[in-house]
Amino acid sequence: MSGPLAGTRGIVLTQAWAGSWCTSLLGQLGADVVQIEVRKRPDSWRGDYAAPIPSQVRDRPTAEHPWNCNPLYNSVNLEKRCITLDLGTVEGMAVFKRLLPLADFCAENFSPRVLGNFGITYEQMREIKADIVLASLSAYGHSGPWTNIPGIGGTIEPSSGMSGLLGYEDGPPLNSGQMFPDAIAALNGCAAIITALRHRDLSGQGQYIDLSMMESSLAAVGDAYLEYSMTGRQRPRLGNHHPSLAPHSIYPTRSEDGEEQWIAIACEDDAQWAALDEIAGQRWAQDSRFATNAARKQHEGDLDAAIAAWTATQDRDDLAARLSAAGVIAASVLDALELSEDANLRERGVIREIDHPEAGVFPQVTLPMHFSRTQPDAPRPAPQQGQHNHEVLAELLGMSEAEVDALIASGVSGGGPPD
Amino acid sequence: MVGDRMTDDSTSSPRALAGVRVIDISSTPAAAWTSRLLADAGADVVLVEPIEGHPLRRTGPFTDGGDSVPEAQFLANKRSVTLDLDDAPARDVVRQLIENADVVVSSHSPRRLATLGFEYASFGLSDLIMTHVTPHGMTGALAEVPGNDLTVAARSGWASINGNDDREPLKPAAWTSSCCAGIAAYAATVAALRWRDQHPGEGQEVDVAETEVMAATFAPGMLRSLYTGKAQGRHSSDDQLAGPVPVADGHFALTLSRAHFWRDAMNLLGLEDLAEDERYGASWFRQSHREEYSGRVAEAMAKWNKMDLFEELAIRRVVAGPVLGMGELRATDHLEVRGYWRRPADDPDGPEYPGPAYQMTETPQTLDRRAPRAGEHNDEVLGVIADAGGAR
Repeated sequence: MSGPLAGTRGIVLTQAWAGSWCTSLLGQLGADVVQIEVRKRPDSWRGDYAAPIPSQVRDRPTAEHPWNCNPLYNSVNLEKRCITLDLGTVEGMAVFKRLLPLADFCAENFSPRVLGNFGITYEQMREIKADIVLASLSAYGHSGPWTNIPGIGGTIEPSSGMSGLLGYEDGPPLNSGQMFPDAIAALNGCAAIITALRHRDLSGQGQYIDLSMMESSLAAVGDAYLEYSMTGRQRPRLGNHHPSLAPHSIYPTRSEDGEEQWIAIACEDDAQWAALDEIAGQRWAQDSRFATNAARKQHEGDLDAAIAAWTATQDRDDLAARLSAAGVIAASVLDALELSEDANLRERGVIREIDHPEAGVFPQVTLPMHFSRTQPDAPRPAPQQGQHNHEVLAELLGMSEAEVDALIASGVSGGGPPD
Repeated sequence: MVGDRMTDDSTSSPRALAGVRVIDISSTPAAAWTSRLLADAGADVVLVEPIEGHPLRRTGPFTDGGDSVPEAQFLANKRSVTLDLDDAPARDVVRQLIENADVVVSSHSPRRLATLGFEYASFGLSDLIMTHVTPHGMTGALAEVPGNDLTVAARSGWASINGNDDREPLKPAAWTSSCCAGIAAYAATVAALRWRDQHPGEGQEVDVAETEVMAATFAPGMLRSLYTGKAQGRHSSDDQLAGPVPVADGHFALTLSRAHFWRDAMNLLGLEDLAEDERYGASWFRQSHREEYSGRVAEAMAKWNKMDLFEELAIRRVVAGPVLGMGELRATDHLEVRGYWRRPADDPDGPEYPGPAYQMTETPQTLDRRAPRAGEHNDEVLGVIADAGGAR
């Protein structure tokens, strides 16, 4: 195990995106993260047990189980080990309570009532492991009138104020293309747990982290709340525009094969604007409407139209390279498949080929942090359901193969749909 | 060298990063958010900014009185000294500050750091942690290429899926990309601090690229596209299942991702025939037959006010979300009861701030200071060397 969190262990009850990626990040930073999954209610991001296997995976001879071939699960669980335990059984809970003392942290993202139903609230966990760090990631937090209201990223985005800010200037509020609040919560949960671990090291004191996805999302657009607080005004939707700089938008570029192509262009100072104008050769700077940033902002519609008319004649990647070399803020808008081939992210080891035992080899986004002294190794693929039952229970609890087999035979552990 | 932290906060809880000294020589929102989070966790953050002030001080939106909102948000909880990094004597002062610090936060590119003589190795401090937060990272072909939230959205995949499929791609709202990078850089910095606690003398450089953090938040979309062989695109503007749709007093998201969400929501909307049609229990059927129900659902939803609909669906355990503006969020009992809102301890009559992203029972984050004026703490921080170093 390598990375700055080497020597740290988490026994985690996370699922879907926020909690799963939070604990995967901790694993990729060097922690030994043991994911506990319940076969009766598998991680929702494994999908339905009977779901079809995606087209680019299904013909691989190793792709036997749909729940191990779901891209959503496999994208946010790198480096973890997975065991299955039915926490609703006496035997399953007994195993969990033997594992917990071996953990430095626990994380979960059930609905707020669930830990209590299992009899493993924070206070009950402390009776087992006095200095445990427990992080709960939930929709609205573990207190307050909305605590039991269910939510997911797609509903927290509107209720946190984010959707009201996302959209075209002349259009309605929008949600992001995938559930961004989950990712924000995951990053924050990772930050919170590391902070709590350091405090525990220094003080001997564990603590409880109550992460509300609503609050973490609102904090990420906190400047818009502060704008309301300072001015009484709700920030309008800005599209791709900046509150005070122009140009700052995404423009079409020449399309050779009917596929859309876009480029992002922004100028943060007059030097960048002059460089853009020179490359464009349009003499925009001599137009009084575009002479200063203030004038450009005032005539932003005209400015965007002029830039778009020019970019539509240009090759996207060539233009992005020329603008970047001249110091203009510019980038090609990459789609998901182009991102997976991005040379810079590959060179820096953030996108890596990950070999999953069932799904096969695909590029994946790994840890987005680099350390000069404690750089972690490349992560392991997301675990198959129950893949590490024998390994973990033998290593951590000293259970014999026969004891683990008995847990599997009784349905407390195992893999795949419950019998 | 760095003066003792002066606080007048009302809480007696320990601070997670008490005693950690941070020198922030950065100039971007992402790096500013990194040091803001370090400050909220109890570190003493000294912002080193040029005489004309940090660029965020000149960034809108502004109040009618000309105050910058980003300045208030991103620079709060820090102390400020004005030292021009292009001025050699001032750089010597900054170097002295860094010699007494635990962490340096920088947004400068490798070439710029070399010009300043501020490469990590130049400090010769084995226990120093230097956290770089830059658009593309400190190595690789793009290390000197400028970027911001817009290009991060473009390069990370996010713009390609945000917005409608008949219009241009959209960046995420506000400075959320910068904030995500700032959170990641904060987490990595605290991980490095913890390592140094355990291994005295083992400081290191931490390198966080804004584009990489956002690419990591895009990971599910990328792998799904690879597994299906087709890049995920943007949603149709009439896709009721993808986001907010109009209701009587605004907009409302009814994601209907599970069969019972569909059934219970349709019953509530008075569309019993849709609720009872078992074919709609399948997600793929709901998606591929949108035209058969979208008009009726829209008409039914338009009769509801968003909070009434939210409460009724919550009773039925259907996940749903009203689009709330900042004033509406301020008015919710929920955030009030949770004690979310806060004002800087040194500015109790100043603007109200949003709370932290998470609550910690033993080491709660604190907001001790409003954003400082540029150079407000020159005397306090620089003391006797102020005159020698170009501080104003």
